[in-house]
Formats: sequence, structure tokens, C-alpha cells
Amino acid sequence: MITSAGLAETLLWGVANGCIYVLLATGLNLIFGVMKLVNFAHGQLLMVGAFVAYQTTVVAGLNPYVSIFVAMGVVALIGVLLETFAFRKVRGTDKLNEIFISLGLIYVFQNVATLFWAQDYNIRIPSPLSGMSLSLGEISLGYDRVLAMAVVIIILVGLVLLTKKTKFGLAMRATSQRSEASMLMGININRVYLFTFALGAALAGAAGALYGILFPFNPAIGALPTIKAFAIIIIGGLGSIPGAVVGGLLYGIAENSAVYLLGGIWQDAIAFTLLIIVLVIRPTGLFGEKGE
Amino acid sequence: MMSNLKLPKGILSRKFVFALVVLGFVAILPLFVRSDYIIGQVFTVMIIFALYASSWNLLASSGQGSLGHAAFLGIGGFASALLATKLGMPPIIGLFLGGLMSAGIGFIIGLACVRLKAWFLAMVTFGFSVIAITIISQFDSVFGGMIGFPTPSIVPQVLPFFYATLVIVAVSIGVIYWVMRSKWGLAFRAVRENENEAKMIGINTGKYRLLAFVISTFFAGLAGGLYAQSILFIQISIFEPYYSFLPLIMVVIGGLGTIEGPIIGSMILVSINSFLPLTDKYLQPLSPLFPGVSNVGPPLRLVGLGLFLIVVVIFLPKGITSLLHKAYNYLREDTSKAKRIERQG
Repeated sequence: MITSAGLAETLLWGVANGCIYVLLATGLNLIFGVMKLVNFAHGQLLMVGAFVAYQTTVVAGLNPYVSIFVAMGVVALIGVLLETFAFRKVRGTDKLNEIFISLGLIYVFQNVATLFWAQDYNIRIPSPLSGMSLSLGEISLGYDRVLAMAVVIIILVGLVLLTKKTKFGLAMRATSQRSEASMLMGININRVYLFTFALGAALAGAAGALYGILFPFNPAIGALPTIKAFAIIIIGGLGSIPGAVVGGLLYGIAENSAVYLLGGIWQDAIAFTLLIIVLVIRPTGLFGEKGE
Repeated sequence: MMSNLKLPKGILSRKFVFALVVLGFVAILPLFVRSDYIIGQVFTVMIIFALYASSWNLLASSGQGSLGHAAFLGIGGFASALLATKLGMPPIIGLFLGGLMSAGIGFIIGLACVRLKAWFLAMVTFGFSVIAITIISQFDSVFGGMIGFPTPSIVPQVLPFFYATLVIVAVSIGVIYWVMRSKWGLAFRAVRENENEAKMIGINTGKYRLLAFVISTFFAGLAGGLYAQSILFIQISIFEPYYSFLPLIMVVIGGLGTIEGPIIGSMILVSINSFLPLTDKYLQPLSPLFPGVSNVGPPLRLVGLGLFLIVVVIFLPKGITSLLHKAYNYLREDTSKAKRIERQG
């Protein structure tokens, strides 16, 4: 039965789920915008973030919403290592090399996670708020999802302040426009790249912690979020942060509506169908700039 | 001296002779190895994946790195198996029709891909393989679902099939080599190096990218048909990302854009997959460290494979082939130096 209350609830849940995609896609887009680098292992960082948050919640006994920030820190550190020891080495060579490296990283992350956490299959981060929900008339929304939205908004506001109001943000924006000219102006672009990658990774870590609070996860969950984040930045435009936010919310709504209207099997296929249709019509994405 | 003779180029060049020697060596291998398992499930699979990786390599040589080649492997495999079992066609016809069907679908996907940049193309091809598995799992009565169904092979198993595969793959790789050496191959490389410049000097880049797509998917489909027949069975798992990433890893480790790279890569990867599991028992002392895993072998191997791939990309961008070339040149220089000294002395 398709009812108006059902539809409204689908939309609201779509927005809540979309928040996680917003974080992931923003990180991917930030890295792409500044470094022109595409990291296919971005979803694996989400998976690592989820497990780090799980460990800090269960073992160290922290509040799950505090552990989000622990996950951000740890994943940012991993990002620093990845940039320094892998992606920096192939910068400026063939674009395919980056794809190959991230593919290798997918194998490494997924299987290291399997080694350490295989016994924790399809776990969730225990939240004190689970099971409680906010009801607005006929529709209801779990408190965890409300808080997730709040966390995403806080992180995004912080990100905007960082890129628009600080000197380092200025350097990032300059590098994203003309990396060579910025180098001539005395910007240490190696440091900008390193910081940008770590920041993008931290966003993926936060997305992972939120994912772990809302959904069950296991070492193999990384692949699909990567693809969804890709679909989102293709819809929203490469390198555009507002585009990633709008695209992420739209995507969350589209996915939830597809499940509601067509059935669960379409949840994942919708990402690709959308992605392929958009790319066939506009090879640079819906709001992407034309060519290079 | 053989190498000093002026031989007509192409027909009897040194490379051609070398290829014949390698082929002859592979052909007499079964004389020394008497195990049916090793001939049927290691050597034959090695040969088939050499073709599969070569098809991927051809596509990548035009700058298009596909992350969904398993879709074409699967289409070729399922088409040839279905034509043989449901329509009763001779398996050899089904094999080539499967390749053609894969090329037909490759043409459609290629049309969508010709204007895309490297990472978009990777996503779209990967997405296509996931859509393909979603659609096919809707029709379990035709495609056999998770269980799959048996398929006949062109000639009886082990030895006859090994030689049939060897002939088909040798001819196919010959054709791929010829394409990559031809004007088309030159155009592919031009598109890969710099698409805008290629356009400027009058190369119809879209046409050549599409051409690479169609040729590559034809051979991927052919390899799929052969693969299904080599295990006499096909199931939906052939569409899984594992089979999409396999040719990529083989080609990158072997040497991107070379003809011998995919062959060497296939030899390495299939050997790793076939023989390394035998060493799993020596890893047992490690298992108390990882209480959740019953056998630490498979995940550890995959971690190693990922690291190996990264290390090769960073430190050996032209693959293991470049090492062999270096060794060959070094040896040749050494002997020529020795000869010179001899002559002078």
C-alpha cells in the first residue's frame, strides 16, 4: 500500500540516510576538487571508521557520538599514510595508476578488516538511543537518525568555515584552481594535498561511524558506498561541495523511494542505473563544468 | 648466427620465432606433467585467463580501464552454455556466438563510455557488471541461479580440450597482437596518451575507443565461453567483481600495453591461486592472533596481493615484463661486450 504518510516517512528516512552519503561524497569531492585524484577505496575508509567507532564504544566504553570523532582522527591518520606512501608516488603519471592503487587498497583494507573483525559479522554500534523515535503525527523517525543529521550539519558547517574563513582553506581553494600557480605563490602544495586527503578521509571516517550506528556492518560493506558516493558526485558535479550535499540528499530520497515503490532488490541497482543514465546524457555530470 | 640473418619482417621475425618456441614448449608440457588436475585446472585456466587479460589489456591500451569486464566474461560464458544446452547447438558455434553476443553488448556499453573520462568509465563498467548480476538473478529458471548448470565442452576434457584451448587462444592473442601493432593500435595509444591532441591531428577518437571496446569484449566473451567449458559448469558468480579485477591485476603486474604482460600476469596469478593455498597449513601458528578467522590463509593472501599490486604500480610501472626486458638487454650487452673483448684480444 502506498499512502501519503508512508511516502512522507520514506522521504524523511531518505534524507536521514542521505546524510551519510553526503559526508562520504563530500570527502570524495574535496579530494577530487583539490587533488584531481579519485580514490576508489574511499568506501573502505568508511568501513574502517565504522569498526574504529565500534571498538571505542564497546571496548573503551565511550558514548557512540563521541567515538565519531575518534573514528575521524584515526581514519585521517590512515589517510595521511595513504597519501604519503601510495598516492603521492604516482601523482602526475597515468590516471589509470591511481585506479590501480586504490584497487590494491581495497584488497588490503577489506582483508585486514576480515582478519581482525571477522567474528563481529553484521554488528551495530550500540547506541543508548536505539529503539526510541520521534513521532510527528503519523510518521516517526528514530532519534539516532535525528542526531546523525545534526552531526552531519555540524561537520559540514565546520568544513565550510575551514575552507572559506581560514588561510589554509584559501590555500586549498587556490590549489584546486591552479596548482602550479599556487606553488609559484609560495603555497606548499604537498602539505595542502596531504591535509586535503586527511580531511576527506576524516569525513569518510565520520560517515562510517554514523553508518555503524544506523546499519549493521561487516568488513565487506565498503564497495557499495563508494559507488553510491560516485553516483552522487556525478549527479551533484565533480568538485562541488554544495553539489555533493544536494546530490547526497536527493540520492538518499531516490534510493529509499525505490525500495518503497519497487522493492528491496532495486536499492543497489538504482545507483548504477541513475549513474549510467546521467553519464550518457551528460558525460561531465549534471552540474559539472564542461570539459577541462 | 641466426640473429644476424636478415629475415623478412612479420613472418619470421625474432619475436615470431620466440612465440613459436613458447607455444611449442606449452604444447609439450603435458608430456612432463601427468596430473589431470594441473593440466585441466591450472594450465588450461592459465591459457584462458591469458586471453581474458589480453582482451582487457587491449581496452586499457586505448586508455579505457574497465572495472566490469566480468560482465562480458559472464555474457560470453552464459551465452555459449545456454546455446549449447537449451538450443542444442554444437559447443564450438555457441562459443563464437557467445563472443559475438558479448561484443554486441560491448558495443552498446562502449557507446555510453566513449565520451567518459577514466574514472567515470571505471564506475560505469563496474556499475554495468552489478546491473547485469541483478538482472540475471531475476531469471533463475533460465540462468540457474546461485547453483548454476553444467555445460558441454567443444572437445572432451582434459588433454583434447587443453590443445583446443591452446590453439584458439594462440590465434586470438595473435589477432590482438596484430591489432595492437596495426594503425588501429597506434590510434589507441594516441587516444590513451592525449585524447585532445589525438583529436587535433584528425583521429576520430570516439570511433577508435568504440573499436577497442568491441574487439576487447569479443575476446572477453570468447574467454568466458572457454572458461565455462573448462570447468564444464557455469554459475552466476562469474559476474562477481573478483573476475573483473582479475585481468586488471594480471595486466598491471605483467606489464600494461605489452603483448607478453597479460600472459605473464596470468601465469603468476593463476599459479598463486592454485599453489599458494597448499602453504596454508604453515600459516596455522598465526591463527591464535586472529580468533575470528578459521583459516588465515585466504585473507592474508589477498592482503599480500593488494600490497603486491600497489608496489608494482609504484616501483615497476611497466610491470614484470620490463624487468625481463632489462635482464635480456643486460645479458645481450654482456655477451656482445665479451665478444668484442674476444675479437680485440
